[in-house]
Amino acid sequence: MDLITGSGPELDETGLDSLQLGEDIRHLIAAPSENASSFTALLELPANQAVELLHSDSGRKQRPNLTFPSNTALLERAAIFSVFHSSNSADSSPVPSNSSSKNLEKGSAVKCEQLETESYLDSCQPLVSDPTVDNSAPNARPSSKRKEREKKVKAASKKSKSESSQQEEEKLPYVHVRARRGQATDSHSLAERARREKINQRMKLLQELVPGCNKISGTALVLDEIINHVQSLQRHVEFLSMRLAAVNPGMDFNVDSLLAAESGSLIDSNFPNMVMPLMWPEAQVNGNRHQFQQHWQFDSLQQPVWGREEDSHNFITPENSHLSYDSSANSASLHSNQLKMEGRMKLHQ
Amino acid sequence: MASKHTIATRHAQGIRARFASRFLRSLLRLRRSGNRFGGSQSNDEGIGKRIRTDRIKIAAYAAMARAVGPRRTWSRALLFKLRNRARIHGVSRKRCLVSEKKRVTRNKVVAISSREPSRADTLRKLVPGGDSMDTCVLLEETAHYIKCLATQVTVMQSIADRLLL
Repeated sequence: MDLITGSGPELDETGLDSLQLGEDIRHLIAAPSENASSFTALLELPANQAVELLHSDSGRKQRPNLTFPSNTALLERAAIFSVFHSSNSADSSPVPSNSSSKNLEKGSAVKCEQLETESYLDSCQPLVSDPTVDNSAPNARPSSKRKEREKKVKAASKKSKSESSQQEEEKLPYVHVRARRGQATDSHSLAERARREKINQRMKLLQELVPGCNKISGTALVLDEIINHVQSLQRHVEFLSMRLAAVNPGMDFNVDSLLAAESGSLIDSNFPNMVMPLMWPEAQVNGNRHQFQQHWQFDSLQQPVWGREEDSHNFITPENSHLSYDSSANSASLHSNQLKMEGRMKLHQ
Repeated sequence: MASKHTIATRHAQGIRARFASRFLRSLLRLRRSGNRFGGSQSNDEGIGKRIRTDRIKIAAYAAMARAVGPRRTWSRALLFKLRNRARIHGVSRKRCLVSEKKRVTRNKVVAISSREPSRADTLRKLVPGGDSMDTCVLLEETAHYIKCLATQVTVMQSIADRLLL
């Protein structure tokens, strides 16, 4: 598609002899025609007729009553592809006839596009479950070819709406991917585009997870933020383990009470994305849970944050100014706790 | 105790409960082992504390990896690393073949990149098992890893607070 749109304005400017251009175009066409990814290769027009079609929008009154020399080939192809298109069999017969008549008027162009869109919508289902295509070739290749052709059809029909230059009438009903106008129709770029979209989706997910990433635009900076966040979380785990190591010798905790407290904090936690609340079946624990319920509802993470501020007050306040997290208070408290721990470690040592 | 464990490890409880129960049990185990080897080792406080810190840290990561299970690539890589560590320390000597295979693929991936580490490479180093992941999978694993790290931090925080109080 870029091929044609690129060469179109050039031809108009120069206004060269069609034969001379034909040779250039033949060169252009020769290369991509192997993988049948170019527009004119698809049409299987000889270069001259392609050029004439191109020139028809420059004002020549030449009504291209060209019969496509490979009309039968086109019809065959359309017929093959319309086999899958079982639901719209009524429409498929006028479709090839339209392609053979190849009138360049707007009305037909619009109709083609309409047919194409309905057929696309209708035949999405049969496409997926159709065995004939899959049996013949690996799935990627025919689907990518279909995608290419669909894109060419879309682009061509849009183009023919604006300028009645040439007409691509091959009605391929189903394609999964729709490329926008002006985009490359290479199979490679298709795969790349799909891959890029997957990556962008995941980046959006990550942006939501990491606090403060919503405002940043640009993949690189977001990745930097993500890396910083992971590193800070890992450092936090290390600090907490140091703290637990310091506590360990002098502890005689009751595992049952701790587990009960954990379950209490789990059920009533203000950690929104974590855990589904559920019933703790043991009666004894229920009693404990009520105690901890009140405790944790008010304090859950605020009490440790604010209760020990006297230790490392000077550490917290400069860091709090940097905290621009608009997500839950947890992350803010996490970082202030981290600093408190640094202060505490210094005290211990 | 066994009943609590089975209840806590039911999937509906969520990862937080599973991690909490495993971590607490491993802490208990560590404390008991520490007490066994001499309750008052006050002569080498610094080194002992460091060792204890590392043990607690490893226990935390192990508990998290087991709580996640082999469902995620990074948890599988973590479990594998831990098993290797245990193997080196002479705990068990099984699964030599698996380790050989993994080592080969990892070396291959590392040898190719001889340029300045891009952001994706840095991320690969941070996330366990990130070497053998393509970018798309890496981002997904990072998201899950961040979520699990956050749970780990909150649970450890609450344990530490309750212990100190």
